[in-house]
Amino acid sequence: MEAVCSTPFFGITISIVAYTIGTWVHRKTRLAILNPLLISYLIIIPSLLLLDIPLEWYEEGGQIISLFLSPATAVLAISVYQQRQLIRKHLAAVIAGSLAASAVSMLSVWLMCRLFALDDALTSSLLPKSVTTPMAIAVSDSLGGIESITVIAVILTGICGSILGPVLIRIFRIRNEIAQGMAFGAASHAVGTSRAVEMGEIQGALSSVSLVASGIMTVLLSLLLV
Amino acid sequence: MNILRQIAIIFSICLAGEAVSQLLPFPFPSAISAMLIMLAALASGILKVDHIKQKSDFLLSNMAFFFIPAGVGVMRYFDTVAPIWLPLLVIIIATTVIVFLTTALVVSLVLRLERGEAE
Repeated sequence: MEAVCSTPFFGITISIVAYTIGTWVHRKTRLAILNPLLISYLIIIPSLLLLDIPLEWYEEGGQIISLFLSPATAVLAISVYQQRQLIRKHLAAVIAGSLAASAVSMLSVWLMCRLFALDDALTSSLLPKSVTTPMAIAVSDSLGGIESITVIAVILTGICGSILGPVLIRIFRIRNEIAQGMAFGAASHAVGTSRAVEMGEIQGALSSVSLVASGIMTVLLSLLLV
Repeated sequence: MNILRQIAIIFSICLAGEAVSQLLPFPFPSAISAMLIMLAALASGILKVDHIKQKSDFLLSNMAFFFIPAGVGVMRYFDTVAPIWLPLLVIIIATTVIVFLTTALVVSLVLRLERGEAE
């Protein structure tokens, strides 16, 4: 068992199988709560526990997948580059929106963590929860947070934003498409962006710009906290 | 362009990102340095989107997949998360609503101000 399951092939294969099932279920049901990532976790974690496979064996392959987080962040530059005209036109709104989003996000998380008396490591893990995972991991690491808790918080935030976003838009009558797109990207990063894309081209474009801009703002603001 | 060459271009930008973050006097995520370097390369015309088309499409369209191992690692922290799952969930939902509304409000205000000036 160990000879087979502790090779990198195990972690990579089970991850791809779980993700494929997750994407399939998500596409069939079109329910935001059945997010492909969430389903992947609900397949992989119980499988490892039931088969009594140590996390270390899984991570032999996991590390190889995680290697791609940095290139995946770098190529976000392409989405920003392709939207450069739209950004230039609404530069003030993009900067003001993403700065306000990251400041309010970190402040509200911090206040609520105090309210629930969570310790510093947990607070640091949650502070960057609104931004895309690789950026959030980077911020969490530099503040002394726990990487895995950050990842789970980020993913739940994304799912939460894509479910609640359309509801909030209706209740608070947010009619401007630029404001809608910026809100999705700033509050719920790439997962929210996939929902914004469904709402319209402008929403999708602004959401991808917003997720990068508020990510960078959060990284910069976190430098003040270190 | 050949897929190996595309990988080489993207990975060398990541490598440059690591180097820049090492040289900076404060902790700055290397992935973000790499993104800014790539943005500069695209803006200056040194790098064309076509040069890295297939590889970047692969990375962007499977973005979520690469987050799987980092999340599975939460197994290590079951004992930490178990007693506080409810506050965690409340914090996540409440702050997401707050950030969504704040952003929409600020952006709408700025756009309205700009429109006011233009008239």
